This record gives sequence, C-alpha cells and structure tokens, in this order.
Amino acid sequence: MSEKIKILYVDDEPDNLVGFKASLRLDYHIFTAVNIPEALGFLNNHPDIKMVFCDQRMPGKTGVEFFEEIRRSHPLPVRILLTGYTDVESIIDGINKGNIFRYVKKPWTEGDVISAIEEANKFYMANSMLLIKNDELQKAYNELNKFAYSVSHDIRGPLSGILGAINIASDIDDVDEMKKMLFLMEKSLKKLDTYIISMHDYYSLQRGELKITEIDFNKIIDELKPLYSVNSKTNNVKFNINVNQEQIFRGDEVPLKLILNNLLSNAFKYQDKSNPNKSVDMSIEVQKNLATINIKDTGIGILGSHIGDIFNLFYRANSQEVGSGFGLYNVKSALMKLNGQIEVNSVMHQGTTFKVTIPSI
Amino acid sequence: MELSFMIIDESELDCFIARKIIENTDKSLKVITFHNAKIALTTISETPVDNHLARSIILLDLQMPIMDGFKFVEEFEKLPSTIKNNYIIIILSATMNANDISRVLAYSSVNSILDKPLTREKVYDMLMLVNL
Repeated sequence: MSEKIKILYVDDEPDNLVGFKASLRLDYHIFTAVNIPEALGFLNNHPDIKMVFCDQRMPGKTGVEFFEEIRRSHPLPVRILLTGYTDVESIIDGINKGNIFRYVKKPWTEGDVISAIEEANKFYMANSMLLIKNDELQKAYNELNKFAYSVSHDIRGPLSGILGAINIASDIDDVDEMKKMLFLMEKSLKKLDTYIISMHDYYSLQRGELKITEIDFNKIIDELKPLYSVNSKTNNVKFNINVNQEQIFRGDEVPLKLILNNLLSNAFKYQDKSNPNKSVDMSIEVQKNLATINIKDTGIGILGSHIGDIFNLFYRANSQEVGSGFGLYNVKSALMKLNGQIEVNSVMHQGTTFKVTIPSI
Repeated sequence: MELSFMIIDESELDCFIARKIIENTDKSLKVITFHNAKIALTTISETPVDNHLARSIILLDLQMPIMDGFKFVEEFEKLPSTIKNNYIIIILSATMNANDISRVLAYSSVNSILDKPLTREKVYDMLMLVNL
C-alpha cells in the first residue's frame, strides 16, 4: 500500500496538466496526456493506473466519448469527468454513457480533487477485491462440481460393488471363490479409503495455514522409509535414498511429507511388473536455501500426451493401479503453498523422474 | 441364437460380480470381461465378421481411465454395421449425474442404462429384451 496511487489526467490545455501535476505529484503518481492517443498509450503501458481524470471539452473527442471507449477497453480504472458547471448535458451523458464515478467541476480546487481521488481509490480497491473474490469463488465452484461428480464414481462406485458382492455371497459355495471375492472387496474398500484420505489432504491443503519449523530431511526419511519397506520387499523394488543436507532448512512439514509420500507411492505403484531390475531412487540435496528432491522410478512411464494433464484434479492416465486422481493434484497444491516447483521427465516403459525444488522459508 | 455378455468395467470387483450373476442366472451364457475399453474395442473390431454369429450384450461402465464409456460408444459407432448389429450396448454405471445419463442415452447404439450393482432381476430383464 506504500506505493503511490497512479492517476492519469487528460486535458488538451497544457497549462491545466502542469497545474494538476504540480499540486498533486508529491502524494500521487501522475501521468498527463494532452490528447486521447497519448492517454491510451499510458493506459496500455500502465495497467495499474487506478483512475482517469478527463476534461470534457477537447478537440476531436469529448471526455464522455473517451470514457465510453475506455469503459470497454480498460474497464478497471475509475473514470472522473472534469467539466464546467454549466455543462449539465455532458454530466448526464457522462453518467449514462461514460459510466463515470464522479465529476469535478472546473475550475477545480485541490480539496475537490483529493476527495475524488480518495473516494475513487476506495471504489477501485473494493472492485478489485471483488474481482479476486469472484475468481476464487469461481474456482471453488468448479472444484465443487468436480467433487459432486466424483462422488458417484469414487464413493458410490466402490459401495455398489460391495453391495453387489454381498448380494451374490449366498450363491457362492466355493471357498476359494469366496476368498477371491473378499480380496476384491478389500481392494475396493481400500480404494474408497484412499479417496477419503486424499479428500482430507485436499481440504487441509486448501484451508490450513503454514506451520514453519526447521526441517531435518534425514529425520523425515527415517519416518517415511518403513512405509515403503514392505512394498519394496514383496515387489522386489530397490529403494535407494541419498540425503545431503548441510544447512538449516525451514518449511512446513505437513505439505512436504504429503509431496514425498504421493510421489514415492506413485513411484512404487506404477512399476513395470515385467522389469527384473525395479528401483526407486530418491535424492535430496539442500543447498543455498533450496531443497532439490529427485524421485526416479523404473516404471511404466507416462505418455507424452498425458503429461500436461497429470496434475489436474481427478485425472488418471492409467488403469494399472488403484488411483483416485487426487495425488498429483494435491502435490501441486502443496507445492503452491511452499512456493515450490515441479518438473516431470518420463519415457514410456523406462521410467519417470519428478524433480521438486522448494525454497527454505 | 447364442447369446454372450461382454463386460467393460475398470473395477475388478464389478466384473467379478457381473460375471457371477450372469453365470448363476444361466450357465449357458458366455461372459468375457475387459478392464480397459480400448482393448475391448480392438477385440470387437478385429473379430472377423463370420464369428459374429452370436449376439452380444455389452455391459459398459461410464467412468474409466484411458477410454471412458462415451469415447467407447463414439468409436463403436464408427464400426461397419455388419459388426455393430451383433451388439447391444447397455450402460451399467453407478453414476447419478443427469447430464451423463442423457448424454449417453443420446447415442443411437446405446439401448438403455442400468444402475449398479447388477442383480439377477436385471439380467432377466436383459434376456427378455433380447428375446423380444
């Protein structure tokens, strides 16, 4: 808020421009234009101009006509008309056609202009806040729609499967067949559970506040490692970890763990089952206040045409494994919170590498 | 005329259930399942027309990765009618989305839509439909 308010003043009389600038330039950032093309040039080059003062009587175009034009091309700046007090017609036009915020009568006093500026600034701020809030609301609505949509697939889907299984249970006499069905039921329920946990992650990422602490990556890895040891052993996937942290790193542990967990579980999940040398390599390097995390797998890879979509909510590029379409979206949200970046490199049937960089806070 | 079922559903459990219910209803009914709609479509298009003597009911789920039910129907409709005429597409889905339902029913090759899970009654209804 310390930056000066940017104001454009348009008048064909150079003396007026000089007078305006002289009395206001200490408190405001004033641009002056002697004609309309020049004024449009300022508006194009300085999209953060908050208000435009314009004289009504100018050769070629009137102030109202100019406002009518920029109302469409540059809707954000607040429009204020300067006019002689006898000019009632132009004031009516100004309000109806130019949609002006105020008019200041000529000759103006500094008090009139300053009060117009202060009011216009409040109006501008309220409007921009409204635009930002509208964008946020629109985004929230879109996500809500996606949620409502996913409810039938991700919640009702597994439930109807379990219900169907219960219906046919009485017709199954074969114990092996029953066991097979129970296994599939368990898989279905696990999928539902994963969905609910991810939904919880999603919500806490969107609404939660940052809690900054000192991060010891070696400690985080010690906590994460056991989660993957079973998968590593049973599926014969080598898990190599290399941590190099020589300086203090500050950040929020919760989104950080979420990122590592999602990327690691994907790296284990999407392995190429026919590959005899399966591995997941993770390296963490902390240098110059930046943590660089590489997670490399020998998995099935991501098709080039799908890479652009993998961070979208509910997008799934593969049917090999249980996926909710939440994981990478949550990774992206967590990274946004931590001001981090992510890059993907993938070769089909050879593997995928995710490179994450997060600055220390 | 011989009748068979082709189940296209990403969920293994749903395929298992549909197969069991159909087989329990009538042992002579043949059932094949696909977890990937794209592979199902390739199978349909590559099966020689001579072998399409038997009619098939395709039980198709809507929300699937790689190729969803909509895309499947769209591609299916491009096949020659000598192939298409041997199939009846019935949607089997847990969807509650009115837009999805009306959208998929708008395809001329889609016969009807059934709510999951499949039950014996629903199989009877389908058999009635084919015999009419």
